[in-house]
Amino acid sequence: MRTSRILTPVVAILLAVACRPAEPPGTVYGERPTLSDTTLVSAILTDPEAYLDQRVLVAGTVVEVCEKRGCWLQLAGDQEFQTLRVKVEDGVIIFPMTARGHAAVVEGVVEKIVLSADEAREQARTHSAEQGLPFDSTATFEPTTTYQLRGIGALIAD
Amino acid sequence: MQWRRLNNVLHRDIGYLCVGLTIVYVVSGVAVNHVDAWNPTYQVERRTAPLAPLAAADLAPPVGPGRLLMQLGLTPDYRTTFRPDSASLRIYLEDGTVDVDFAKGEATVEIVRERPVLGAVNFLHLNHPKRLWTWVADIYAVALGLLAVTGLFVLKGKKGITGRGAWLTAAGVALPFVFLWLYR
Repeated sequence: MRTSRILTPVVAILLAVACRPAEPPGTVYGERPTLSDTTLVSAILTDPEAYLDQRVLVAGTVVEVCEKRGCWLQLAGDQEFQTLRVKVEDGVIIFPMTARGHAAVVEGVVEKIVLSADEAREQARTHSAEQGLPFDSTATFEPTTTYQLRGIGALIAD
Repeated sequence: MQWRRLNNVLHRDIGYLCVGLTIVYVVSGVAVNHVDAWNPTYQVERRTAPLAPLAAADLAPPVGPGRLLMQLGLTPDYRTTFRPDSASLRIYLEDGTVDVDFAKGEATVEIVRERPVLGAVNFLHLNHPKRLWTWVADIYAVALGLLAVTGLFVLKGKKGITGRGAWLTAAGVALPFVFLWLYR
């Protein structure tokens, strides 16, 4: 009698744990993605204004990560040579360098970045410093408009 | 006085409990503070190697990348590949990448290793574990506050808070305000 009183809750807990809905394997950074439908990176890059300020879920391989702060990553698109940059708040979400080459789903809001020529130069200089790459100080820069995802959360496969 | 004895016991015992975590946060804090000058978590080694003239087709998965890795003296296992543009290919390894520049006929091998001690302390300091560790870190922060407050009242007399301690405490409290005034 006494044994069953102890065993019943133990078995109940074990069953509850065993019956939990299976979670996709991987590590969550920031908030766990909640959207169920993915948007193609190519669709966003083809007509970014149509997705501006919209919350989307994208999927792809992580092809680059900010080396020093882990504050951004680049996701390969569904078409050749395409990538989408995902920027997250410094120190709030930190992507590890080891995420490179892993599949990921990322949820975030599409945003537009408009840079003057000087800002584009400064961004390129910062990017080179972060990635330990050489920076050509003689290169000329034009004002640019780019689109990126303001990352809210990501699930990166282990 | 009874309250001072209790204060000193608290200060002493919380101090003992906090030593380990303080060392974790001290080491990681200094390392992360200088993130502009170095990578505090990973050691990144890069080397370039010349390649015989190659076409993209030579490196077509699944065989091509493995063959190239063997030429570079690496094991042929790779995770995946990516084409950043028509003139290059990136091969992802378990612990790094190989960038192939077809035009230059060059490969750049980048091996990434987590720094043994710093990687671990940064993992904790930057709260990568989340879950229960968040509570531990919060309790530690409160404990540090208790250490500071109880520390004010450890000694009485000229070296205590009514004497030299008052001046040193005032200097410590003023310090952040000075930097806020300077930089904000």
